[in-house]
Amino acid sequence: MRSVLRKVVDGLLLIMGVTFISFLLMVHFGPDQTYTLIGKNASAEQIAQVHRELGYDRPFASRYAGYVTDLFTLDLGRSNSSGERVTRILQKTVPVSLALMLPGFVIGNLLGIALGLLAAHRRGQLSDRIITGLAVTGMSFSFLIVIIALQVLLSTPYGLDLFPVRGWRVDGLLSYLHFVTVPTLSLVIVTLGYNTRFYRAVFVEESGRDHILAARAFGASPGALMWKHVLKNSLVPITTRVLFSIPLVVVSGSLLMESYFGIPGIGKVTFDAIQNGDQPVLKAVVGLTAVAFVLIQLLTDMLYKLFDPRLREA
Amino acid sequence: MTGVQIWTRLKTNRGGLAGLSILVVFLLLALGVWLGWLGQDWSRAPGGRWEPAGSRFWFGTNVVGQDIFQRSMYSVRTAFEIGLLVSLVSTLLGAALGALAGWYHRSWVDRSILWLKGVLDSIPFYLFVAAVAFALEGYPWAMHVAMIATFWTSTARLVRAEVMKIKGREFVLAARAIGLPDGLTLQRHVLPNTSHILLVQASLSFVAAIKTEVVLSFLGLGVKDGVSWGLMLAESTQEVLAGHFNNFLAATLMLFTLLLGFNLLVDALQDAFDPKQVTR
Repeated sequence: MRSVLRKVVDGLLLIMGVTFISFLLMVHFGPDQTYTLIGKNASAEQIAQVHRELGYDRPFASRYAGYVTDLFTLDLGRSNSSGERVTRILQKTVPVSLALMLPGFVIGNLLGIALGLLAAHRRGQLSDRIITGLAVTGMSFSFLIVIIALQVLLSTPYGLDLFPVRGWRVDGLLSYLHFVTVPTLSLVIVTLGYNTRFYRAVFVEESGRDHILAARAFGASPGALMWKHVLKNSLVPITTRVLFSIPLVVVSGSLLMESYFGIPGIGKVTFDAIQNGDQPVLKAVVGLTAVAFVLIQLLTDMLYKLFDPRLREA
Repeated sequence: MTGVQIWTRLKTNRGGLAGLSILVVFLLLALGVWLGWLGQDWSRAPGGRWEPAGSRFWFGTNVVGQDIFQRSMYSVRTAFEIGLLVSLVSTLLGAALGALAGWYHRSWVDRSILWLKGVLDSIPFYLFVAAVAFALEGYPWAMHVAMIATFWTSTARLVRAEVMKIKGREFVLAARAIGLPDGLTLQRHVLPNTSHILLVQASLSFVAAIKTEVVLSFLGLGVKDGVSWGLMLAESTQEVLAGHFNNFLAATLMLFTLLLGFNLLVDALQDAFDPKQVTR
Protein backbone atom coordinates (compact mmCIF):
# COMPACT_ATOMS: atom_id res chain seq x y z
CA MET A 1 0.00 0.00 0.00
CA ARG A 2 2.78 2.42 0.88
CA SER A 3 4.54 1.66 -2.37
CA VAL A 4 1.37 2.47 -4.34
CA LEU A 5 1.02 5.77 -2.49
CA ARG A 6 4.65 6.55 -3.20
CA LYS A 7 4.09 5.82 -6.94
CA VAL A 8 1.10 8.15 -7.01
CA VAL A 9 3.07 10.96 -5.35
CA ASP A 10 5.96 10.42 -7.79
CA GLY A 11 3.47 10.48 -10.63
CA LEU A 12 1.97 13.77 -9.47
CA LEU A 13 5.43 15.32 -9.13
CA LEU A 14 6.22 14.18 -12.66
CA ILE A 15 3.02 15.68 -14.04
CA MET A 16 3.80 18.96 -12.26
CA GLY A 17 7.26 18.97 -13.84
CA VAL A 18 6.04 18.23 -17.34
CA THR A 19 3.29 20.82 -17.20
CA PHE A 20 5.68 23.40 -15.73
CA ILE A 21 8.36 22.93 -18.39
CA SER A 22 5.87 22.82 -21.22
CA PHE A 23 4.11 25.89 -19.84
CA LEU A 24 7.39 27.77 -19.54
CA LEU A 25 8.48 26.89 -23.08
CA MET A 26 5.25 26.94 -25.00
CA VAL A 27 3.26 29.62 -23.21
CA HIS A 28 5.67 31.93 -21.42
CA PHE A 29 8.36 31.99 -24.13
CA GLY A 30 6.04 30.89 -26.93
CA PRO A 31 4.77 33.00 -29.83
CA ASP A 32 2.46 35.93 -29.09
CA GLN A 33 -0.91 35.50 -30.76
CA THR A 34 -2.16 39.05 -30.39
CA TYR A 35 -1.35 40.31 -33.87
CA THR A 36 -2.34 37.15 -35.73
CA LEU A 37 -5.79 37.49 -34.18
CA ILE A 38 -6.52 41.18 -34.72
CA GLY A 39 -4.08 42.29 -37.42
CA LYS A 40 -1.16 44.70 -37.39
CA ASN A 41 -2.98 48.00 -36.97
CA ALA A 42 -4.91 47.38 -33.80
CA SER A 43 -5.82 50.07 -31.30
CA ALA A 44 -4.45 49.99 -27.77
CA GLU A 45 -7.88 48.99 -26.45
CA GLN A 46 -8.19 46.06 -28.84
CA ILE A 47 -4.73 44.87 -27.85
CA ALA A 48 -5.59 45.14 -24.18
CA GLN A 49 -8.80 43.23 -24.75
CA VAL A 50 -7.08 40.36 -26.59
CA HIS A 51 -4.41 40.26 -23.92
CA ARG A 52 -7.14 39.93 -21.31
CA GLU A 53 -8.92 37.18 -23.25
CA LEU A 54 -5.73 35.19 -23.79
CA GLY A 55 -4.58 35.83 -20.22
CA TYR A 56 -1.39 37.65 -21.28
CA ASP A 57 -1.96 40.38 -18.70
CA ARG A 58 -2.01 38.02 -15.71
CA PRO A 59 1.16 37.22 -13.74
CA PHE A 60 3.08 34.02 -14.49
CA ALA A 61 2.10 32.18 -11.31
CA SER A 62 -1.62 32.80 -11.71
CA ARG A 63 -1.54 31.69 -15.35
CA TYR A 64 0.30 28.52 -14.43
CA ALA A 65 -2.14 27.77 -11.61
CA GLY A 66 -5.02 28.24 -14.04
CA TYR A 67 -3.33 25.91 -16.51
CA VAL A 68 -2.97 23.10 -13.97
CA THR A 69 -6.52 23.56 -12.63
CA ASP A 70 -7.95 23.37 -16.16
CA LEU A 71 -6.00 20.20 -16.79
CA PHE A 72 -7.15 18.41 -13.65
CA THR A 73 -10.78 19.42 -14.07
CA LEU A 74 -10.56 18.42 -17.76
CA ASP A 75 -11.81 21.87 -18.71
CA LEU A 76 -9.81 22.09 -21.91
CA GLY A 77 -11.56 25.08 -23.44
CA ARG A 78 -11.51 26.13 -27.09
CA SER A 79 -8.69 26.49 -29.59
CA ASN A 80 -7.51 30.09 -29.95
CA SER A 81 -7.09 29.80 -33.70
CA SER A 82 -10.16 27.90 -34.86
CA GLY A 83 -12.50 28.42 -31.90
CA GLU A 84 -13.25 24.71 -31.93
CA ARG A 85 -13.59 22.86 -28.62
CA VAL A 86 -10.30 21.16 -27.74
CA THR A 87 -12.06 17.95 -26.69
CA ARG A 88 -13.69 17.91 -30.14
CA ILE A 89 -10.30 18.39 -31.85
CA LEU A 90 -8.84 15.52 -29.83
CA GLN A 91 -11.82 13.30 -30.67
CA LYS A 92 -11.29 13.99 -34.36
CA THR A 93 -7.51 13.67 -34.55
CA VAL A 94 -6.41 11.03 -32.02
CA PRO A 95 -8.25 8.16 -33.78
CA VAL A 96 -6.64 9.20 -37.09
CA SER A 97 -3.16 9.10 -35.54
CA LEU A 98 -3.85 5.75 -33.90
CA ALA A 99 -5.16 4.30 -37.16
CA LEU A 100 -2.08 5.65 -38.91
CA MET A 101 0.58 4.51 -36.44
CA LEU A 102 -0.79 1.39 -34.77
CA PRO A 103 -0.42 -1.14 -37.63
CA GLY A 104 3.23 -0.20 -38.20
CA PHE A 105 3.92 -0.13 -34.46
CA VAL A 106 2.44 -3.60 -33.89
CA ILE A 107 4.01 -5.19 -36.98
CA GLY A 108 7.38 -3.56 -36.23
CA ASN A 109 7.45 -4.97 -32.70
CA LEU A 110 6.16 -8.44 -33.60
CA LEU A 111 8.63 -8.79 -36.47
CA GLY A 112 11.40 -7.47 -34.21
CA ILE A 113 10.59 -10.08 -31.56
CA ALA A 114 10.43 -12.86 -34.18
CA LEU A 115 13.73 -11.88 -35.82
CA GLY A 116 15.32 -11.33 -32.42
CA LEU A 117 14.29 -14.81 -31.28
CA LEU A 118 15.58 -16.36 -34.50
CA ALA A 119 18.91 -14.53 -34.27
CA ALA A 120 19.35 -15.38 -30.59
CA HIS A 121 18.46 -19.01 -31.32
CA ARG A 122 21.01 -19.23 -34.15
CA ARG A 123 23.54 -17.09 -32.32
CA GLY A 124 26.87 -16.85 -34.15
CA GLN A 125 25.59 -18.67 -37.22
CA LEU A 126 25.08 -17.25 -40.68
CA SER A 127 21.39 -16.37 -40.20
CA ASP A 128 22.25 -14.45 -37.02
CA ARG A 129 24.96 -12.53 -38.79
CA ILE A 130 22.65 -11.69 -41.71
CA ILE A 131 19.91 -10.48 -39.35
CA THR A 132 22.24 -8.33 -37.22
CA GLY A 133 23.92 -6.98 -40.36
CA LEU A 134 20.57 -5.97 -41.83
CA ALA A 135 19.55 -4.44 -38.50
CA VAL A 136 22.64 -2.21 -38.44
CA THR A 137 21.99 -1.24 -42.06
CA GLY A 138 18.36 -0.41 -41.26
CA MET A 139 19.43 1.72 -38.30
CA SER A 140 21.56 3.82 -40.63
CA PHE A 141 18.64 5.05 -42.73
CA SER A 142 16.99 8.30 -41.74
CA PHE A 143 13.20 8.27 -41.33
CA LEU A 144 12.85 10.90 -44.04
CA ILE A 145 14.93 8.88 -46.53
CA VAL A 146 12.76 5.80 -46.01
CA ILE A 147 9.56 7.78 -46.47
CA ILE A 148 10.76 9.49 -49.66
CA ALA A 149 12.14 6.26 -51.14
CA LEU A 150 8.96 4.29 -50.44
CA GLN A 151 6.83 7.10 -51.77
CA VAL A 152 8.78 7.15 -55.03
CA LEU A 153 8.77 3.36 -55.33
CA LEU A 154 5.12 2.77 -54.44
CA SER A 155 3.19 5.96 -55.16
CA THR A 156 4.69 7.64 -58.24
CA PRO A 157 4.89 6.80 -61.94
CA TYR A 158 8.64 6.29 -61.41
CA GLY A 159 7.83 3.18 -59.40
CA LEU A 160 4.77 0.96 -59.06
CA ASP A 161 2.30 3.86 -58.69
CA LEU A 162 -0.09 1.79 -56.56
CA PHE A 163 -0.85 4.09 -53.65
CA PRO A 164 -1.78 7.78 -53.21
CA VAL A 165 1.13 10.22 -52.87
CA ARG A 166 -0.41 11.92 -49.84
CA GLY A 167 -3.65 12.57 -48.00
CA TRP A 168 -6.15 10.65 -45.89
CA ARG A 169 -9.70 10.14 -47.18
CA VAL A 170 -10.73 7.00 -45.35
CA ASP A 171 -14.31 5.68 -45.56
CA GLY A 172 -13.95 1.94 -45.28
CA LEU A 173 -11.45 -0.88 -45.09
CA LEU A 174 -10.30 -0.64 -48.70
CA SER A 175 -9.58 3.09 -48.65
CA TYR A 176 -7.94 2.66 -45.23
CA LEU A 177 -5.51 0.08 -46.64
CA HIS A 178 -4.99 2.34 -49.63
CA PHE A 179 -3.80 5.26 -47.49
CA VAL A 180 -2.17 3.43 -44.59
CA THR A 181 0.14 1.04 -46.48
CA VAL A 182 3.02 3.38 -47.33
CA PRO A 183 3.17 5.01 -43.86
CA THR A 184 2.98 1.57 -42.22
CA LEU A 185 5.79 0.17 -44.34
CA SER A 186 7.99 3.20 -43.59
CA LEU A 187 7.39 2.90 -39.85
CA VAL A 188 8.17 -0.84 -39.90
CA ILE A 189 11.39 -0.34 -41.86
CA VAL A 190 12.57 2.53 -39.66
CA THR A 191 11.89 0.78 -36.35
CA LEU A 192 12.68 -2.83 -37.28
CA GLY A 193 16.47 -2.51 -37.02
CA TYR A 194 16.30 -0.99 -33.53
CA ASN A 195 13.62 -3.43 -32.36
CA THR A 196 15.45 -6.52 -33.64
CA ARG A 197 18.71 -5.52 -32.00
CA PHE A 198 17.04 -4.69 -28.72
CA TYR A 199 15.03 -7.91 -28.56
CA ARG A 200 17.98 -10.03 -29.70
CA ALA A 201 20.14 -8.65 -26.88
CA VAL A 202 17.33 -9.37 -24.37
CA PHE A 203 16.93 -12.95 -25.60
CA VAL A 204 20.67 -13.65 -25.75
CA GLU A 205 21.08 -12.43 -22.19
CA GLU A 206 18.12 -14.50 -21.03
CA SER A 207 19.29 -17.69 -22.77
CA GLY A 208 22.62 -17.47 -20.96
CA ARG A 209 20.99 -17.83 -17.53
CA ASP A 210 21.57 -20.84 -15.33
CA HIS A 211 18.08 -22.32 -15.49
CA ILE A 212 18.13 -22.26 -19.30
CA LEU A 213 21.57 -23.90 -19.38
CA ALA A 214 20.30 -26.52 -16.92
CA ALA A 215 17.19 -27.20 -19.02
CA ARG A 216 19.37 -27.54 -22.08
CA ALA A 217 21.70 -29.93 -20.27
CA PHE A 218 18.68 -32.07 -19.40
CA GLY A 219 17.86 -32.27 -23.11
CA ALA A 220 14.95 -29.82 -23.56
CA SER A 221 14.44 -29.15 -27.26
CA PRO A 222 16.03 -25.84 -28.30
CA GLY A 223 12.86 -24.57 -29.99
CA ALA A 224 10.63 -25.21 -27.00
CA LEU A 225 13.30 -23.71 -24.76
CA MET A 226 13.31 -20.45 -26.73
CA TRP A 227 9.53 -20.28 -26.84
CA LYS A 228 8.60 -21.42 -23.36
CA HIS A 229 11.45 -20.21 -21.19
CA VAL A 230 13.37 -17.47 -22.93
CA LEU A 231 10.42 -15.57 -24.42
CA LYS A 232 8.31 -15.91 -21.29
CA ASN A 233 11.07 -14.72 -19.00
CA SER A 234 11.78 -11.77 -21.28
CA LEU A 235 8.25 -10.41 -20.97
CA VAL A 236 9.32 -7.74 -18.46
CA PRO A 237 11.74 -5.87 -20.75
CA ILE A 238 9.43 -6.41 -23.73
CA THR A 239 6.46 -4.88 -21.89
CA THR A 240 8.55 -1.94 -20.75
CA ARG A 241 9.75 -1.14 -24.23
CA VAL A 242 6.35 -1.52 -25.87
CA LEU A 243 4.35 0.44 -23.29
CA PHE A 244 6.82 3.27 -22.93
CA SER A 245 7.09 3.83 -26.65
CA ILE A 246 3.32 4.16 -27.18
CA PRO A 247 2.89 7.86 -26.25
CA LEU A 248 6.10 8.85 -28.02
CA VAL A 249 5.32 6.90 -31.18
CA VAL A 250 1.78 8.19 -31.35
CA VAL A 251 2.63 11.86 -30.79
CA SER A 252 6.26 12.27 -31.92
CA GLY A 253 6.35 9.68 -34.68
CA SER A 254 3.07 10.76 -36.15
CA LEU A 255 4.28 14.36 -36.35
CA LEU A 256 6.74 13.64 -39.17
CA MET A 257 4.46 11.17 -40.90
CA GLU A 258 1.44 13.47 -40.72
CA SER A 259 3.32 16.56 -41.91
CA TYR A 260 4.83 14.59 -44.77
CA PHE A 261 1.68 12.87 -45.97
CA GLY A 262 -0.64 15.74 -45.03
CA ILE A 263 -2.73 13.66 -42.65
CA PRO A 264 -4.91 15.53 -40.11
CA GLY A 265 -3.82 13.74 -36.91
CA ILE A 266 -2.79 14.82 -33.43
CA GLY A 267 0.90 15.27 -34.34
CA LYS A 268 0.13 17.76 -37.08
CA VAL A 269 -2.41 19.63 -34.93
CA THR A 270 0.10 19.94 -32.10
CA PHE A 271 2.87 21.11 -34.39
CA ASP A 272 0.60 23.78 -35.85
CA ALA A 273 -0.40 24.77 -32.32
CA ILE A 274 3.26 25.25 -31.34
CA GLN A 275 3.77 27.32 -34.45
CA ASN A 276 0.75 29.55 -33.77
CA GLY A 277 1.02 29.65 -30.00
CA ASP A 278 -2.40 28.02 -29.65
CA GLN A 279 -2.21 27.48 -25.89
CA PRO A 280 -5.41 25.54 -25.16
CA VAL A 281 -4.46 22.84 -27.69
CA LEU A 282 -0.88 22.58 -26.40
CA LYS A 283 -2.09 22.49 -22.83
CA ALA A 284 -4.31 19.52 -23.57
CA VAL A 285 -1.82 17.52 -25.65
CA VAL A 286 1.20 17.93 -23.40
CA GLY A 287 -0.78 17.53 -20.21
CA LEU A 288 -2.58 14.42 -21.39
CA THR A 289 0.65 12.82 -22.69
CA ALA A 290 2.23 13.36 -19.29
CA VAL A 291 -0.78 11.83 -17.55
CA ALA A 292 -0.67 8.90 -19.98
CA PHE A 293 3.01 8.39 -19.17
CA VAL A 294 2.38 8.27 -15.46
CA LEU A 295 -0.54 5.86 -15.90
CA ILE A 296 1.66 3.66 -18.08
CA GLN A 297 4.31 3.63 -15.38
CA LEU A 298 1.76 2.44 -12.84
CA LEU A 299 0.46 -0.12 -15.34
CA THR A 300 3.92 -1.55 -16.12
CA ASP A 301 4.53 -1.89 -12.41
CA MET A 302 1.37 -3.97 -12.07
CA LEU A 303 2.21 -6.05 -15.14
CA TYR A 304 5.71 -6.77 -13.80
CA LYS A 305 4.17 -8.28 -10.72
CA LEU A 306 1.83 -10.34 -12.87
CA PHE A 307 4.68 -11.72 -15.00
CA ASP A 308 7.26 -12.13 -12.26
CA PRO A 309 6.00 -13.47 -8.90
CA ARG A 310 9.34 -12.58 -7.29
CA LEU A 311 8.49 -8.89 -7.61
CA ARG A 312 5.22 -9.27 -5.70
CA GLU A 313 6.78 -9.32 -2.26
CA ALA A 314 8.87 -6.20 -2.72
CA MET B 1 40.01 -0.66 -20.11
CA THR B 2 42.88 1.21 -21.67
CA GLY B 3 43.07 2.54 -25.20
CA VAL B 4 45.54 -0.18 -26.20
CA GLN B 5 43.26 -2.96 -24.96
CA ILE B 6 40.29 -1.50 -26.81
CA TRP B 7 42.34 -1.28 -29.97
CA THR B 8 43.56 -4.89 -29.72
CA ARG B 9 39.99 -6.11 -29.55
CA LEU B 10 38.70 -3.66 -32.13
CA LYS B 11 41.24 -4.51 -34.80
CA THR B 12 40.07 -8.13 -34.98
CA ASN B 13 36.55 -6.94 -35.78
CA ARG B 14 36.11 -6.41 -39.51
CA GLY B 15 32.89 -4.41 -39.17
CA GLY B 16 34.51 -2.13 -36.61
CA LEU B 17 37.49 -1.46 -38.84
CA ALA B 18 35.22 -0.72 -41.79
CA GLY B 19 33.25 1.71 -39.62
CA LEU B 20 36.41 3.39 -38.40
CA SER B 21 37.72 3.79 -41.97
CA ILE B 22 34.44 5.39 -43.05
CA LEU B 23 34.68 7.85 -40.15
CA VAL B 24 38.28 8.73 -41.00
CA VAL B 25 37.32 9.45 -44.63
CA PHE B 26 34.43 11.67 -43.53
CA LEU B 27 36.62 13.43 -40.98
CA LEU B 28 39.13 14.19 -43.75
CA LEU B 29 36.31 15.57 -45.91
CA ALA B 30 35.16 17.74 -43.00
CA LEU B 31 38.73 18.98 -42.49
CA GLY B 32 38.90 19.75 -46.20
CA VAL B 33 35.80 21.94 -45.89
CA TRP B 34 37.07 23.63 -42.72
CA LEU B 35 40.39 24.44 -44.38
CA GLY B 36 38.58 25.84 -47.40
CA TRP B 37 39.63 23.22 -49.96
CA LEU B 38 36.26 21.60 -50.56
CA GLY B 39 32.63 22.57 -51.04
CA GLN B 40 33.23 26.32 -50.77
CA ASP B 41 30.87 27.12 -53.67
CA TRP B 42 27.83 25.49 -52.11
CA SER B 43 25.67 28.62 -52.24
CA ARG B 44 26.59 29.89 -55.73
CA ALA B 45 24.34 28.90 -58.61
CA PRO B 46 26.57 28.51 -61.68
CA GLY B 47 24.41 25.99 -63.58
CA GLY B 48 20.95 25.70 -65.03
CA ARG B 49 17.95 24.17 -63.37
CA TRP B 50 18.23 20.40 -62.66
CA GLU B 51 21.26 19.77 -64.87
CA PRO B 52 22.14 16.07 -65.05
CA ALA B 53 25.28 14.66 -63.47
CA GLY B 54 28.35 15.16 -65.67
CA SER B 55 31.97 16.25 -65.73
CA ARG B 56 31.12 19.85 -64.74
CA PHE B 57 28.62 19.06 -62.01
CA TRP B 58 29.48 15.61 -60.65
CA PHE B 59 26.10 15.10 -58.99
CA GLY B 60 24.12 17.50 -61.22
CA THR B 61 22.39 20.69 -60.05
CA ASN B 62 19.27 21.47 -58.02
CA VAL B 63 16.22 23.59 -58.81
CA VAL B 64 18.11 26.91 -58.68
CA GLY B 65 21.22 25.57 -60.43
CA GLN B 66 23.41 25.02 -57.38
CA ASP B 67 26.07 22.31 -57.62
CA ILE B 68 24.81 19.29 -55.63
CA PHE B 69 28.32 17.87 -55.20
CA GLN B 70 29.53 21.09 -53.54
CA ARG B 71 26.47 21.13 -51.31
CA SER B 72 26.83 17.52 -50.20
CA MET B 73 30.52 18.11 -49.39
CA TYR B 74 29.87 21.25 -47.36
CA SER B 75 27.18 19.31 -45.48
CA VAL B 76 29.88 16.98 -44.09
CA ARG B 77 31.13 19.94 -42.10
CA THR B 78 27.61 20.84 -40.94
CA ALA B 79 27.03 17.23 -39.84
CA PHE B 80 30.28 17.12 -37.85
CA GLU B 81 29.61 20.48 -36.23
CA ILE B 82 26.17 19.40 -35.05
CA GLY B 83 27.23 15.86 -34.16
CA LEU B 84 30.42 16.77 -32.27
CA LEU B 85 28.90 19.63 -30.30
CA VAL B 86 25.73 17.77 -29.32
CA SER B 87 27.41 14.47 -28.51
CA LEU B 88 30.24 16.07 -26.53
CA VAL B 89 28.10 18.37 -24.39
CA SER B 90 25.24 15.91 -23.84
CA THR B 91 27.62 13.08 -22.91
CA LEU B 92 29.55 15.26 -20.45
CA LEU B 93 26.33 16.57 -18.94
CA GLY B 94 24.96 13.04 -18.67
CA ALA B 95 28.20 11.80 -17.10
CA ALA B 96 28.24 14.58 -14.52
CA LEU B 97 24.59 14.30 -13.51
CA GLY B 98 24.63 10.49 -13.66
CA ALA B 99 27.73 10.32 -11.47
CA LEU B 100 26.21 12.70 -8.91
CA ALA B 101 22.97 10.73 -8.82
CA GLY B 102 24.76 7.41 -8.46
CA TRP B 103 27.23 8.65 -5.84
CA TYR B 104 24.57 10.32 -3.69
CA HIS B 105 22.18 7.45 -4.35
CA ARG B 106 18.74 7.87 -2.66
CA SER B 107 19.54 11.39 -1.46
CA TRP B 108 17.69 14.49 -2.60
CA VAL B 109 20.35 15.02 -5.29
CA ASP B 110 19.58 11.62 -6.80
CA ARG B 111 15.85 12.20 -6.52
CA SER B 112 15.94 15.60 -8.22
CA ILE B 113 18.11 14.35 -11.08
CA LEU B 114 15.84 11.35 -11.60
CA TRP B 115 12.82 13.63 -11.50
CA LEU B 116 14.31 15.94 -14.13
CA LYS B 117 15.16 12.95 -16.31
CA GLY B 118 11.63 11.56 -15.91
CA VAL B 119 10.10 14.90 -16.84
CA LEU B 120 12.24 15.31 -19.97
CA ASP B 121 11.58 11.70 -21.00
CA SER B 122 7.81 12.22 -20.68
CA ILE B 123 7.57 15.08 -23.16
CA PRO B 124 7.32 13.78 -26.74
CA PHE B 125 10.71 14.51 -28.23
CA TYR B 126 9.87 16.39 -31.44
CA LEU B 127 7.30 18.49 -29.61
CA PHE B 128 9.93 19.47 -27.06
CA VAL B 129 12.41 20.36 -29.78
CA ALA B 130 9.78 22.30 -31.69
CA ALA B 131 8.80 24.17 -28.53
CA VAL B 132 12.44 25.04 -27.74
CA ALA B 133 13.02 26.10 -31.33
CA PHE B 134 10.05 28.48 -31.28
CA ALA B 135 10.82 29.72 -27.77
CA LEU B 136 14.36 30.59 -28.88
CA GLU B 137 13.28 31.87 -32.26
CA GLY B 138 15.98 33.61 -34.26
CA TYR B 139 18.64 32.04 -32.07
CA PRO B 140 20.80 29.74 -34.26
CA TRP B 141 21.61 27.24 -31.49
CA ALA B 142 17.99 26.41 -30.62
CA MET B 143 18.21 23.00 -32.27
CA HIS B 144 21.45 22.11 -30.45
CA VAL B 145 20.09 23.23 -27.09
CA ALA B 146 16.98 21.11 -27.52
CA MET B 147 18.97 18.01 -28.46
CA ILE B 148 21.44 18.42 -25.59
CA ALA B 149 18.61 19.00 -23.13
CA THR B 150 17.07 15.65 -24.02
CA PHE B 151 20.01 13.43 -25.05
CA TRP B 152 21.85 13.52 -21.71
CA THR B 153 19.20 11.43 -19.95
CA SER B 154 20.16 8.03 -21.37
CA THR B 155 23.86 8.59 -20.60
CA ALA B 156 22.97 9.69 -17.08
CA ARG B 157 20.87 6.56 -16.48
CA LEU B 158 23.75 4.24 -17.51
CA VAL B 159 26.44 6.18 -15.66
CA ARG B 160 24.29 6.33 -12.51
CA ALA B 161 23.89 2.54 -12.49
CA GLU B 162 27.61 2.01 -13.11
CA VAL B 163 28.67 4.48 -10.40
CA MET B 164 26.38 2.76 -7.90
CA LYS B 165 28.18 -0.50 -8.71
CA ILE B 166 31.70 1.00 -8.55
CA LYS B 167 30.99 2.88 -5.33
CA GLY B 168 31.06 -0.35 -3.32
CA ARG B 169 34.31 -1.65 -4.80
CA GLU B 170 37.45 -1.91 -2.62
CA PHE B 171 39.56 0.73 -4.37
CA VAL B 172 36.82 3.31 -3.89
CA LEU B 173 36.36 2.34 -0.24
CA ALA B 174 40.13 2.61 0.18
CA ALA B 175 40.18 6.07 -1.37
CA ARG B 176 37.42 7.19 0.97
CA ALA B 177 39.07 5.52 3.97
CA ILE B 178 42.25 7.55 3.53
CA GLY B 179 40.09 10.66 3.49
CA LEU B 180 40.07 11.65 -0.17
CA PRO B 181 37.27 14.20 -0.70
CA ASP B 182 34.19 12.95 -2.57
CA GLY B 183 34.83 15.18 -5.58
CA LEU B 184 38.36 13.88 -6.09
CA THR B 185 37.35 10.25 -5.58
CA LEU B 186 34.64 10.63 -8.20
CA GLN B 187 36.92 12.39 -10.61
CA ARG B 188 40.02 10.18 -10.24
CA HIS B 189 38.69 6.75 -9.37
CA VAL B 190 35.06 6.46 -10.37
CA LEU B 191 34.48 8.43 -13.58
CA PRO B 192 37.48 6.95 -15.48
CA ASN B 193 35.85 3.55 -14.97
CA THR B 194 32.76 4.68 -16.85
CA SER B 195 34.71 5.74 -19.94
CA HIS B 196 33.53 2.74 -21.98
CA ILE B 197 29.92 3.80 -21.46
CA LEU B 198 30.77 7.38 -22.38
CA LEU B 199 32.50 6.40 -25.61
CA VAL B 200 29.54 4.34 -26.81
CA GLN B 201 27.03 6.96 -25.67
CA ALA B 202 28.93 9.75 -27.43
CA SER B 203 28.85 7.79 -30.69
CA LEU B 204 25.16 7.02 -30.27
CA SER B 205 24.37 10.70 -29.60
CA PHE B 206 26.32 11.67 -32.70
CA VAL B 207 24.09 9.37 -34.78
CA ALA B 208 20.96 10.60 -33.03
CA ALA B 209 21.95 14.25 -33.54
CA ILE B 210 22.48 13.86 -37.29
CA LYS B 211 19.24 11.90 -37.68
CA THR B 212 17.30 14.47 -35.67
CA GLU B 213 18.76 17.30 -37.74
CA VAL B 214 17.24 15.73 -40.87
CA VAL B 215 13.75 15.63 -39.40
CA LEU B 216 14.04 19.12 -37.91
CA SER B 217 15.31 20.60 -41.16
CA PHE B 218 12.34 19.03 -42.94
CA LEU B 219 9.99 20.61 -40.40
CA GLY B 220 11.74 23.97 -40.89
CA LEU B 221 13.29 23.99 -37.40
CA GLY B 222 16.78 22.81 -38.28
CA VAL B 223 19.83 24.38 -39.93
CA LYS B 224 19.25 28.07 -40.69
CA ASP B 225 22.49 29.31 -42.27
CA GLY B 226 24.37 26.94 -44.51
CA VAL B 227 23.39 23.64 -45.99
CA SER B 228 22.94 20.16 -44.59
CA TRP B 229 21.86 16.76 -45.85
CA GLY B 230 18.60 17.35 -44.00
CA LEU B 231 17.97 20.55 -45.98
CA MET B 232 18.89 18.76 -49.22
CA LEU B 233 16.43 15.98 -48.41
CA ALA B 234 13.77 18.54 -47.52
CA GLU B 235 14.33 20.19 -50.93
CA SER B 236 14.16 16.84 -52.63
CA THR B 237 10.71 15.94 -51.26
CA GLN B 238 9.15 18.09 -54.00
CA GLU B 239 11.76 17.27 -56.67
CA VAL B 240 11.33 13.49 -56.54
CA LEU B 241 7.66 13.84 -57.45
CA ALA B 242 8.79 15.58 -60.65
CA GLY B 243 11.37 12.87 -61.35
CA HIS B 244 14.58 14.68 -60.25
CA PHE B 245 16.47 12.36 -57.95
CA ASN B 246 20.02 13.80 -57.79
CA ASN B 247 19.55 15.80 -54.60
CA PHE B 248 17.86 12.87 -52.88
CA LEU B 249 20.45 10.30 -53.97
CA ALA B 250 23.47 12.46 -53.08
CA ALA B 251 22.18 13.31 -49.59
CA THR B 252 21.03 9.73 -48.98
CA LEU B 253 24.36 8.24 -50.00
CA MET B 254 26.40 10.57 -47.80
CA LEU B 255 24.10 10.39 -44.79
CA PHE B 256 23.68 6.62 -44.97
CA THR B 257 27.43 5.96 -45.28
CA LEU B 258 28.33 8.17 -42.32
CA LEU B 259 25.61 6.67 -40.10
CA LEU B 260 26.58 3.14 -41.16
CA GLY B 261 30.18 3.90 -40.21
CA PHE B 262 29.10 5.04 -36.76
CA ASN B 263 26.74 2.13 -36.23
CA LEU B 264 29.41 -0.41 -37.21
CA LEU B 265 31.86 1.25 -34.84
CA VAL B 266 29.37 1.32 -31.96
CA ASP B 267 28.66 -2.37 -32.55
CA ALA B 268 32.35 -3.23 -32.46
CA LEU B 269 32.94 -1.08 -29.37
CA GLN B 270 30.08 -2.76 -27.52
CA ASP B 271 31.58 -6.14 -28.41
CA ALA B 272 35.02 -5.04 -27.27
CA PHE B 273 33.72 -3.74 -23.93
CA ASP B 274 31.52 -6.72 -23.23
CA PRO B 275 33.50 -9.43 -21.48
CA LYS B 276 30.66 -11.92 -21.76
CA GLN B 277 30.31 -11.19 -25.46
CA VAL B 278 26.53 -11.03 -25.12
CA THR B 279 26.06 -9.05 -28.29
CA ARG B 280 28.27 -11.34 -30.36
